[in-house]
Order: sequence, then C-alpha cells, then structure tokens
Amino acid sequence: MLRLPFTQRGSRPLSGVATVSAEFDVAVLGAGIVGASCAWHLARRGARVVVIDASGPAAAASGASDGAVSVASKKPGVLARLATQSLLYTRTLAQDGPLRGHFHPRPAWYFATTEAELVALDALIAKLDALDGPVRSGRDGGAALLPGAGVLVRRLVEIRGEGHMTGYSAVRALLADPRIARLWPAAVAAIEPDDKGVTLALADGRSLRAGRVIAALGTSTPALFPGLPVRPLAGQLIITDRGAPGALEGALTAASYLIAKTADPSRLPEPPVVIDPLVTGQVLIGSSRVEHGDPARMDFDTILRLVRRAAAVWPALAERRVIRAFVGIRAAVADGLPIVGALPGFDRVLLATGFEGDGICLSALMGREVAAMALGDSPAEGVERDLAALSPARFEPAAREVAQ
Amino acid sequence: MSGAFDWKGAAVPFRAGETVASALLRSGVRDFGPFCGIGQCQGCLVRVDGRVTEACLALCRAGALVQPLEARDAG
Amino acid sequence: MPDDRVIVVGAGPAGMAAAVALAEGGQRVLLVDQARTPGGAVHRAPLPGVAPLGLPEHRRRWAALTARATAQASRIETAFETRFAGVDATGAVLLTGARNRLLQPRGVIVALGARERVLPRPGWTLPGVLTAGAIQTGLKTSGEAPQGRVVLAGSGPLLLAVGAELAALGRPPVAIIEAARPFGAGALGLPLAYLAEAARYRLRLLGVPVLTGSRLVEIVPGLEAMVDTPKGPRRFAADLIGLHDGIAPNVSGLGGPCPIPLLRAGDGREALGARAAMLDGTRAGQAMLALLAGRPVPPEPAALIRQRAAQARLARIYARDEGAALDALPPDTILCRCESRSRADLAALGESPTGRDLRLTGRFGMGACQGRVCGEWVAHFAKTRDLGRPRLPLRPLSIADLLAVPAADTGD
Ligand SMILES: Cc1cc2nc3c(=O)[nH]c(=O)nc-3n(C[C@H](O)[C@H](O)[C@H](O)COP(=O)(O)OP(=O)(O)OC[C@H]3O[C@@H](n4cnc5c(N)ncnc54)[C@H](O)[C@@H]3O)c2cc1C
Ligand code: FES
Repeated sequence: MLRLPFTQRGSRPLSGVATVSAEFDVAVLGAGIVGASCAWHLARRGARVVVIDASGPAAAASGASDGAVSVASKKPGVLARLATQSLLYTRTLAQDGPLRGHFHPRPAWYFATTEAELVALDALIAKLDALDGPVRSGRDGGAALLPGAGVLVRRLVEIRGEGHMTGYSAVRALLADPRIARLWPAAVAAIEPDDKGVTLALADGRSLRAGRVIAALGTSTPALFPGLPVRPLAGQLIITDRGAPGALEGALTAASYLIAKTADPSRLPEPPVVIDPLVTGQVLIGSSRVEHGDPARMDFDTILRLVRRAAAVWPALAERRVIRAFVGIRAAVADGLPIVGALPGFDRVLLATGFEGDGICLSALMGREVAAMALGDSPAEGVERDLAALSPARFEPAAREVAQ
Repeated sequence: MSGAFDWKGAAVPFRAGETVASALLRSGVRDFGPFCGIGQCQGCLVRVDGRVTEACLALCRAGALVQPLEARDAG
Repeated sequence: MPDDRVIVVGAGPAGMAAAVALAEGGQRVLLVDQARTPGGAVHRAPLPGVAPLGLPEHRRRWAALTARATAQASRIETAFETRFAGVDATGAVLLTGARNRLLQPRGVIVALGARERVLPRPGWTLPGVLTAGAIQTGLKTSGEAPQGRVVLAGSGPLLLAVGAELAALGRPPVAIIEAARPFGAGALGLPLAYLAEAARYRLRLLGVPVLTGSRLVEIVPGLEAMVDTPKGPRRFAADLIGLHDGIAPNVSGLGGPCPIPLLRAGDGREALGARAAMLDGTRAGQAMLALLAGRPVPPEPAALIRQRAAQARLARIYARDEGAALDALPPDTILCRCESRSRADLAALGESPTGRDLRLTGRFGMGACQGRVCGEWVAHFAKTRDLGRPRLPLRPLSIADLLAVPAADTGD
C-alpha cells in the first residue's frame, strides 16, 4: 500500500469504496480564503475544479478573522516580501476582478506604550524602508498625531498603502464563479495518488477522482497530514456595537504585535491588541494568541485584558458596548512560515496551509501560484525563491525519522 | 423621591424607582424602539449621560440627559 | 481567586427558591438580578406606594418564600441592578452594572426566566407596538394602565391575564385577539386552580370582545390592527398594541462547556409557569448541594411532574398552526428587528443557507440582541437549527463597566 509522506501510517486503502462519481482536473480541499483563491484561479484558466469542504465556505479561520491586508505586520524577509506581492495583486483583483468591492484601502497606525514597543517601531520603519515597496511609513510622533489617542501612547507610526478585506465576503465572491463545482458538507477521509491521478475517499463512503489535489485545510491539516508541524493557535476577538463615527480610519495596532510574530507569545507583557474599525461601523478588538484549538474556549479574563489595553490607547471605546466575543483558530507552523508546494515525491498532491494570522493577506498571490503549480507552470517572476522557502520538503527528513 | 430628566430638550417627569422606558411611555413618547420591556430585544437603546443602555432597564436619575441613539448606532 | 459561594442568577421565584434551598443547606449564596428588586416576571415589585397586582395565592406563596430568604440573610448576599454576562470556559462568572466583578464561584444556578415569543407580522416594528409582557411589566410596576386604546393579540393565557389587569385598573382593552380556540370542552381537564384563575379573568373582561380563532395579520401606521376572524376581516384602531405568542426558556448564549456545576432552574429550564418555577428552584438548589457534596442528585419532585402535565394540557388547548401563519407572511416582513432584515433578505441567501451564511452574509442574529428575538423564526424559514454556537457575553456589556472590574479580582 502506498504511503504519503506526513500522512498517517496505514492510511485507509481505497479498494471496495463506492463508485467514482466524477472526474476533475483539480480538487481543492478546504473552502477557506486560500482554497477559494486557488479554485478561482484554476477555473479562470479553464481547469475543471471542485471545492470540497467538511462544513461550508469560510467555516473556520477565514470566517473568524480580522482582514488586514498588511505588509507592516509581517515577519521581515520571506513573508514581508510575499505579502508585498500579494497586496499588489489583491489591488489588481479588486480593480477589475472577483474582489471588486471587497478590498478597502486605508491607512494603519502602530503604537507603542513600552520601551520594547518603541524599539519595535524603529525595526518596523527599517523593515519597510528595506522593502522599498508600495507600503511606506508616514507620520511618526507622539499621541497628538492622532486625535483620540490616549495619553499613555508614547509613539505612533502611520502606515500607508495597505487595506482591509473581510475574509467571509471575499470567499463568497471567489466561489461565486459558476465554473467552480462545490461539494459540501463532505469530509475527505483519505488521499490516494497513483500514476494517473488522485482518488479522494469521503467520510460518507463516496469517492472522487481528480488529476491533482490541493489541500488547503488550515487547522484541519494534521487530520490528513499528522506528520506536518501545524498546530492551532487560538485568538479571541471582540465586536462592539456601532458608535458615532470616530476619527479612526484604519486599524490601530500595538507594536507588541510585531514582537509577538518573533517571540514566545506567552511572555509578552502587554497583549498585542488591534483596534479595527469595521465597515459596519462596529469596532473589532483583537486578538489573543493562546496555544489551543477549541473555538468554544472563551474566557472573560482575556476579554478584560484586551479591553483594558484597547481603551487605554483609544479612550472613546469606553462609550461602546461589547456585543459579541468569539474565538478564531489560526493554523500555526513550527518555523513560522506557511507550507506551500507539492509533497516531496508526489507532485499530484499540493499543500497550501499554515497561514497563521496572514492568510487573508497572502491568499491572492498564493491562489495564483498554487494554481500555476497544479497546472505544471513555473512561478511568476520574482517570487520563485520565496515560494521555494515554503515547500513542505523542508520537513521531510524529520518526518521520515518519525515514520521509521 | 421623584424628578425629571431631559429628553430632546423637554423635561420628562418620573417616579422614584421608575425606568427610563416607563417614564417616556407614560409621557407619550413611543418612538425610541421599546418592545420586550425586559432587556432582551435591545430595541429601546438610548444614551443616558452619554452611555448606551436599555431604557427599559435603566433607572431614572433627576437631571440626567437622555438621548436617542444616532442612526446606525445600535447593533 | 476561588470563591466559596454559589451564584444564583435571577431573583424570580425559581432563583429565590434555589437561593433559599442552598442557604438552608448551609451554602453561601450570591443572588444576582438585573432588576432593582426581587420578584422576576410574575412578582415584579411595584414602585414605592403602588399596591401589588396579581392573584392572592401567588402573593402568599411569594411572601412565604421571601420570609425564608430573610431568615437566611447571613448566607444570602444580594446584588441587584447587576447583570450576569455568563460563565466562561474556565468557570469564571462576569458580573457588570452596580457591581463589576469577575468571580470564581463553586457553582452557578441560572434562573433567567422566560422570554416572550412574538411572531413577526407586517408592521410589528411600528412605534406603539410592544409585547403584551412589556405592557404587563409597566402596569405591575406603575399600578397604572396606559392611556388610550389597547389591543392585545397573539395567543396564550397571558393575553387574558394582561387584559384582566388592564380592566382592574379601569381601562379594559379594546379587544383581545386569540389565534387558538381555548374555551372548548378540553379546558375542563385542567387543574382547578387554573380554571378558577381563568374564570376570574373572564369575569373582569366582561364586555371586552375576545375573538378566538382570529389573527392579527397586519399593523398599519397610525396604528390600526387588521384582524382575520372566522367571520371575516375586522379592524381595530389602537394607541398601543401588545403582541404575545407564548413563552419559551430564556437561555440563548448559555451552553458552552464549563468546569463547575451549572444548573438551570424555573422558566429558564422549562417554561412551566410560576407555580412550577418555585418548585424547580428548590429542586435545583438541592441538586447543587448534592453535586457539591458528591451525593447523588435527588429525582424531580412529583409536584413538578404534575405541573408539567398540566402545562402540556394547556398547550394542547392553545394549539394553533404557527407554521401556516409564518408561511403566509409577505416577503417584505421584517424578521430581524435589530438589523431590519426581511423574509426576502433571507430567501436571497438561497435554498439551504448555513448558519454562517445567515449570520455573516444575511446578518441575521448579528444585531445587539444576537438573535434572541428572531432566532426561532429565522430557523423556521432557513429550515436549519444551526444558527452558530451560542456566544458570550449573554448580553451586551458596557466597556466602561468592564474597565471598572478590578484587575486582579479576589472577590468582594
Ligand atoms: C411577560 C410574562 C408575564 C407572565 N405573567 C404570568 C402570570 O400572570 N401568571 C403566571 O402564572 N405566570 C406568568 N408568567 C410566567 C411566570 O412569570 C414564570 O413562570 C415565572 O415567573 C418564572 O420564574 P423564574 O424565576 O423562572 O423566572 P423570572 O421570574 O423571569 O426571573 C428571572 C430573573 O432573571 C433576571 N435576569 C435575566 N437576565 C439576567 C442577566 N443577564 N443578569 C442578571 N439577571 C438577569 C430577570 O431580571 C429576572 O428577575 C409570565 C411570564 C412572562 C414572561
Ligand atoms: S424594550 Fe426590549 S430591551 Fe428594552
């Protein structure tokens, strides 16, 4: 019996499963923002594509996230460069493509109240200067720069050139393409590649045949690929009621968020809070970073800590009410980079997962590039090296050791 | 103890222990969205001295400034 | 820091009975209610100087219970004008309002009472349209019937009760419109106390048209109630319309897993009315004592089971076809009052929308009430039970209140 790298030992043989029902060029597993973008790009290029999801569109992280399309927040290096490309491409898709009306350009602000955060803002400005891309730091100064900011704020840095996209509505827009076949709710239980294609066994006993498969399963990745170091990272979010339109035009983010991307989140002295004015007039206050994967595990203590810091830097929040709080689960990877590319030795099985807190931002570019991989094309110029850094091949030796 | 609070420039009288919704309704004011009367429907939201609250739960305070919510201010 | 108390939320008959049972069993209690006084829906305390309404035997039972609570004052601490935001996954309870606290109690009994069900109808969002319960709450506290013409419509014994109270205060309603036909021979199977209560209401309502088998199908501005009766359409001009289509447990937002014992009591567990609520509160208090001591939980008392049977009979007497009434609603009827979303908006989501479609695209249940009012009707039209997992907080929380919660709370 065939064994894929990173899959469960003894993955279920498919002999004896019910009839193969349809034939597709590519099957995309997962109807989150990454799977939806892959599917749209495949359909645009004429491939017969089906999207399969265990529950429905945007049922996990994509429907429970903020939607910053942001370069400033990325780890320097590979991710910051890819985010730059994806931002540019998102703008294109929003101009005359499927994302029209879903991407909203807007300024962003980062603030510091502590010494460590002041230093992190210097690093942020240096990072954006080095990138020399469409995202630039703007005004830099004290709380007075932004009328409404609290007195505890010691420094503010303005960021220009970024935007916001609501994950759920973007997924709907991408999947609205009539050329995309949809299959949900349907859980995939096993992936079995052979010389001519891939057979997918569904949990309900049906099976499906496709030329290639793209697994964009987010936090569910370990269910089919337990050998990959993808783990859940929970974030609590708060939504307030609508208030009088305030001065805040874009997200106001703690510089500790930048530190959280490179340090152990449990050791952060101040929660990496983001205050994000939504298009509905409500305000989103996010997000904690806690190591668990239970969307029902909401706690008031975290809400209180987020609210305290948010109201300290934006005191007008004290006039609002919290109407809802929920937990979104991110798919985090041990080395902090997403996992994108073909399984070593199995070019019919592609992975696009592990986007942690960056999937909405990276989805446009990743959809285009993974679709190209699935169709056997080479990556767009300028992103080859950075894409190669995301290949699952980087985990292969370790996974082999486990299997022995 | 009883008194009055301000609603759109008019003094609305109330009795001790009365809720804002009850006092408004007794004064003939109906267009602030009251429905369930027990804090569940969130229809009767008003600002009392700047803070959003259910009129049917908030107790009246003499001299308070009670305002309707701005449009799109509620949910 | 862990607290040695049990928190009882809701100081109606169920919550009060639970607190008494706990305290009489030696357990310290914090009794919380968002109202300014105990009583809940049925024993809502009148304003100072106003005579209490309501039936004498209910008042006697309540007086006896509050006397027992007073005797346990050293063990029962109360927190009024205080709201319960829920129990989180760590077992912490957040209270806001007059007290802002994050507590770690030994256990929680939730007795949040009932919510009124009100079927959507064209015009039900107009000013002057309230629930019948809201009108009752107003007259119980103020001791005054509202000025002007009142029409009561929907279904259930509450319509008669409110009508009778309005009549007793000198301003009987213009009409009572009841969808069921509750006064047939089936009523004779009810316990005597229910029949006596109904007879007293009917006596007070002499001269008031009570149209059974009739529906209020539309409310037009200027306030007119358009009614379908078995004998043809009728219209009633009104200043105030009170709608009511039965009661259901007020539980939305509770239900996440939590590590401490969490029990429901009274109408918040099962809407069986005031008599049963008191019995059920006692049951819940005793069950909590047993859970905390590691003893087996006692069985439901027989009297409670009898009350359930009586309510089931009452429900049969008030049987009516709600599904047909809903399906007859015109497309532009508002379902979600908070976000003004109509039946047509729901239909636009397609054949079988998921809970996420309903909330994130449709914005049903996303307003300030979080679907407490419209959830049942949205579920009917969407043919789904999946409106998403219940979410904390149980009710909107003022951020100013949250900022007043002590940072490292050690109880009070
Ligand atoms: C409008 C209405 C009218 C009724 N009239 C009659 C009648 O005339 N005769 C009759 O026999 N039965 C009547 N009933 C039924 C009867 O009132 C109930 O069966 C009984 O009162 C239920 O008692 P309970 O203790 O379970 O709930 P309740 O008495 O409703 O007590 C629940 C308490 O919880 C509080 N609360 C709710 N949410 C929160 C929160 N988040 N934080 C803190 N506190 C909270 C409420 O303020 C309330 O005090 C009526 C019910 C309703 C809804
Ligand atoms: S009338 Fe429903 S919340 Fe006040």
